[in-house]
Amino acid sequence: MKRLKRLALMLVAPVLALAFAVLVTSLILVASGHAPLGVFTSMWNYGSAPDSLALTLNLATTYYLSALAVAVGFRMNLFNIGVDGQYRLAALIAAAVGGSLHLPAVLDVVVILVVAMLVGAGWAAIAAVLKNRRGVSEVISTIMLNYISIGVIAYLLTPDRLAVAVQGSNNIGTQPIPPNGQVPGFSVIGGAQNAVYGLILLAVACGVAYWYLLGFTRFGYDLRATGLSPTAAVASGVNVKRMVLISMLLSGAIAGLVGMPQLLGASYTYSLDFPTGLGFTGIAIALLGRNHPVGIAFGALLWAFLDTSRLILDLGGVSKEIVTIMQGVSVLSVVVAYELVRRYNIAAQQREVGRALAAETPELVGQGTA
Amino acid sequence: MRNALKIASVLAVGALALAGCGSSSSSAPAGNGSSGPTSSIKVGMAYDIGGRGDKSFNDSAARGLDKAKADFGVTTQELSAVAGETDQQKAARLTLLAQGGYNPVIAVGFAYAGAVKTVAAQFPKTNFAIIDDSSNLQPNVANLVFAANQSSYIVGVIAAQASKAASVGFIGGVNVPLLQSFQAGFDAGVKATDSSAKIQDKYLTQPPDFTGFNAPDKGKTVAQGMYDSGADIVFAAAGGSGSGVFAAAKSSGKLAIGVDSDQYLSATPDVQSVILTSALKNVDQAVYDFIKSAVDGKTLTGVQTFDLKNGGVGYSKSNPAVAPYEAKADAAIAAIIAGTVTVPNTIG
Amino acid sequence: MVANHDIDITVRRGTVHAIVGENGAGKSTLMKILYGMQRPDEGTIAIEGEVVALHSPSDAIARGIGMVHQHFQLADNFTVLENVILGDEPTSGLRLDLGSARRRIRELGEQYGLSVDPDAVVEDIGVGDRQRVEILKVLFRGARTLILDEPTAVLVPQEVDELFRALGELKSQGLTVIFISHKLDEVLAVADEITVVRQGTTVTSVLPADVTARKLAQLMVGSELPSPQTRLSTVTEDVVISVRDLTLATPEGRLLLDRISFTIHRGEVLGIAGVEGNGQAELVETIMGMRTPLSGDITYDGKDIVDWPTRRRREAGIAYIPEDRSRHGLLLEASLWENRMLGHQTLAPNAKGPLIDRAGARKDTARIVSEYDVRTPGIDVMASALSGGNQQKLIVGREMSGDPLVLIAAHPTRGVDVGAQAAIWDQLRAARSRGLGVLLISADLDELIGLSDRLEVLLRGRFVAEADPATVTPEELGSAMTGAGGEAA
Repeated sequence: MKRLKRLALMLVAPVLALAFAVLVTSLILVASGHAPLGVFTSMWNYGSAPDSLALTLNLATTYYLSALAVAVGFRMNLFNIGVDGQYRLAALIAAAVGGSLHLPAVLDVVVILVVAMLVGAGWAAIAAVLKNRRGVSEVISTIMLNYISIGVIAYLLTPDRLAVAVQGSNNIGTQPIPPNGQVPGFSVIGGAQNAVYGLILLAVACGVAYWYLLGFTRFGYDLRATGLSPTAAVASGVNVKRMVLISMLLSGAIAGLVGMPQLLGASYTYSLDFPTGLGFTGIAIALLGRNHPVGIAFGALLWAFLDTSRLILDLGGVSKEIVTIMQGVSVLSVVVAYELVRRYNIAAQQREVGRALAAETPELVGQGTA
Repeated sequence: MRNALKIASVLAVGALALAGCGSSSSSAPAGNGSSGPTSSIKVGMAYDIGGRGDKSFNDSAARGLDKAKADFGVTTQELSAVAGETDQQKAARLTLLAQGGYNPVIAVGFAYAGAVKTVAAQFPKTNFAIIDDSSNLQPNVANLVFAANQSSYIVGVIAAQASKAASVGFIGGVNVPLLQSFQAGFDAGVKATDSSAKIQDKYLTQPPDFTGFNAPDKGKTVAQGMYDSGADIVFAAAGGSGSGVFAAAKSSGKLAIGVDSDQYLSATPDVQSVILTSALKNVDQAVYDFIKSAVDGKTLTGVQTFDLKNGGVGYSKSNPAVAPYEAKADAAIAAIIAGTVTVPNTIG
Repeated sequence: MVANHDIDITVRRGTVHAIVGENGAGKSTLMKILYGMQRPDEGTIAIEGEVVALHSPSDAIARGIGMVHQHFQLADNFTVLENVILGDEPTSGLRLDLGSARRRIRELGEQYGLSVDPDAVVEDIGVGDRQRVEILKVLFRGARTLILDEPTAVLVPQEVDELFRALGELKSQGLTVIFISHKLDEVLAVADEITVVRQGTTVTSVLPADVTARKLAQLMVGSELPSPQTRLSTVTEDVVISVRDLTLATPEGRLLLDRISFTIHRGEVLGIAGVEGNGQAELVETIMGMRTPLSGDITYDGKDIVDWPTRRRREAGIAYIPEDRSRHGLLLEASLWENRMLGHQTLAPNAKGPLIDRAGARKDTARIVSEYDVRTPGIDVMASALSGGNQQKLIVGREMSGDPLVLIAAHPTRGVDVGAQAAIWDQLRAARSRGLGVLLISADLDELIGLSDRLEVLLRGRFVAEADPATVTPEELGSAMTGAGGEAA
């Protein structure tokens, strides 16, 4: 009963926020002379077609990994804004390594994934070391590292170094990864032309690992304690500098995986048109999902669904930026809604305690099992 | 599989119809209710980031589309990309057009190369065209590419003549192979005309940072540096960043050369006089020609190069100040067409 | 409002009105309502006969109600003047009018006997002065009714006297003071009228002349006043922790602890007396490994632990009741059972190898809740939902778990009601007789004298005096703490 109530409380914030986002979007649609219901219906119809669903799942896979990378830091109030630079650099190096590897199939993929994680973690470690040694805010350093990573990629992605020119194309990219290093997709959605990334399983595995790590390990406890109260964590014996380093490495390693579904499942090369900005999408989705592995999954799916179904909007003459507005409003309002629910929750619990005391039955304590 | 595809297309078209309700459709057939020509051809156009209205590459393609619409009465549908997309999202956009019965489908920009490859295989009966990429040899794909090195060569010839100090500059927006071919042509043109001329080559940004195509501030700084170090004419092959180059030219009392469209005509009046000429890359013409071939029932495929010979590239003469240099420029054009001069396509 | 039902209080202008009650009795909630921080579910508040609705502290301020919080809310690196005007800056045109603000602070100081140098930086002034700044802040905003929440908790007796003189001055000039405390002697000394609150209800209102401290305590809890007296010495010969020449400095080189040395035996309680801010917090944090000393040794259980990280010290059996429970002792937004693990997250029953043991932690939390009488409807509520006293009981219960050898206890009964205070004292005594060594820091001199086997007086980071708890009086100790009395006893 109580658990049910708590679950309801957890859900009320995102639901309220989404409703508000839909309302704002509708108002804008009406103001620009469109019928909101028609627009939403067409988005739903297009978005729920098999091809679109497969695309949604694929986008959600990368979004999910990116949001997990951000969430690891968020849980201890560490803001890794540098996921964007981390995954791009990791994808480039991993692609270059993968393009030159000739290993047996599974091993090949594993090596590429490990390289990506190491590069992501290594790049993130710079920010951690700067914070621990010099007290540089990780927000500043990771943002700066994003720019530096762009420069590094520009330096490396030239035909003299890691790239090869494609005949007749204005694109340049790394040597394509041979089939042994590619991860085949699934045809899980009936009737879809495009397959779902095989690495969606990797994203799910990361989510489960994240959930287990945070909820069931001492490390996870220390991480959450540091996020809830750094001072109390220190007093309890948590070595905060070590936590900063480890969680930054973890965050960077997951960030390194962000580009992998695309790299090993679709493009097989890191080229000029490799998707950018996924790190920032991850921040929004981590907020939307409240750093909870299941919440993030829903957030990633929702975001991906909107990104996919917005394609149809151009066709109806509706500006597709309407979806960007909807995404933005939902993140903003979800943050506000969570804060309101949090406060309500504290007040409600205080009332509950007060009631229990007023009833003059101090022996209310149950054995209570999780 | 087939059935599912049908369902998908029905859904998509149904969605189209729904979305059309109450929307001010941008794709009303030109022929409806007017006395102009009509055609059953439906042209789908997928722009790169920025879409129609970017005052650059996409806009140029849009002009070609508009002209074809007016001349042949074709129905059109335009979609545009958003930043940070994957190939799959681009493919979904092309699929949407192909499923909607749009044939041909034109993809603007090399970023669509992968997507066109995928979708062209799925819709063998639909014709596709891709601009600025020639890597796609499927039978239903036309690769519309431009010999920008040739037009750059010609403006190089003009720059070398116009430079009193025998010192010129080249500013590329982003250091990608496409822009390097501009530089190769320009440098060759300058050297062929005045072998002693000093050339400065600079790019505003390195990929994957593509902001160099739209950073007037960077363009201005770099151009100012070139003018200060002695150059008196700079070729701005940098898209939207060109306006910064023109501003620097204006304040230094020097000259500049525009790119892609005739920038003398599109520039603000105060900087018009410094734009001696522009290296033209007639994307609009390529789009128009491609649509025309479809209307005529002989849709182009394979690699279609637009060069000096067929007028796909060239230089502009709208600034009267360019007149003294036209003779040599036109002679160079004739030599290239005749094959006596070969313009390099890569630097180094 | 469930925390308070049927609170009925009438405060007359120009009086000091004390509100006393156990923790969790609803005092804090009542104050929050009066100050507009919380809204009542039913009932009304009338000021000067007019019923008002207070939606926020600014409403309350506009009605002339000001609040002086228990924990000072001052910016340490600002001057007194800047702190006073913060949020209510006087301007002339667009410019800050510091001159007139300075004049006004001086006037207010003289008028009410609360003089503080307006240009002193807050981190350089003492606790008593800081409290005066808090009161000035409220007066500066035009308050006619002041709410003081446990104002004497941080003061030494001499400072308490000064505060009471100032309150008398305020009263004589027609201002009203609502004074919350559970130090009954003080309440009897300063109040014109006393309201006793118990379990969210007003029990009665009495005049100080009609009651004794004992009677008042009985009204509050309905039980006898507990006494902290430790009669039987359990001190043994075994040294459990010894500290030698411990020196700690700020990065700028200012000494926070200056060659501190002491030894605690098994079964011994060493009390440290001192005005807050003289190095107690630093001493405790250095012993816990949260600060790195400049020099000196700490020997625990025969081992040199000065290089050990905090976790290792805790794992080795040093328990820690921090001074500031919300900053160092609790995760306010985590459940009680997760708070049970804090500081013990690597030890049974909370952990099994690298994993946490939820079932074990929950079971042991339930044990603590019942053994230490933590009033809560369950162990899944957030720590922030409990009253301060109940939070403290949870912390004490947690730290006494796992048979520690040494307990570093800073203000173990701060904010705890009389009944629970007695229970905690009993627990400490019992643990002491089992051989626990305790370093006790407290602002409550009765507690210090009552529990300690030995007393050291800490002033500006140095031990300046020793005292025998069997003979010393609170007044003598107070003098030593301020450096006035020299050698006490």
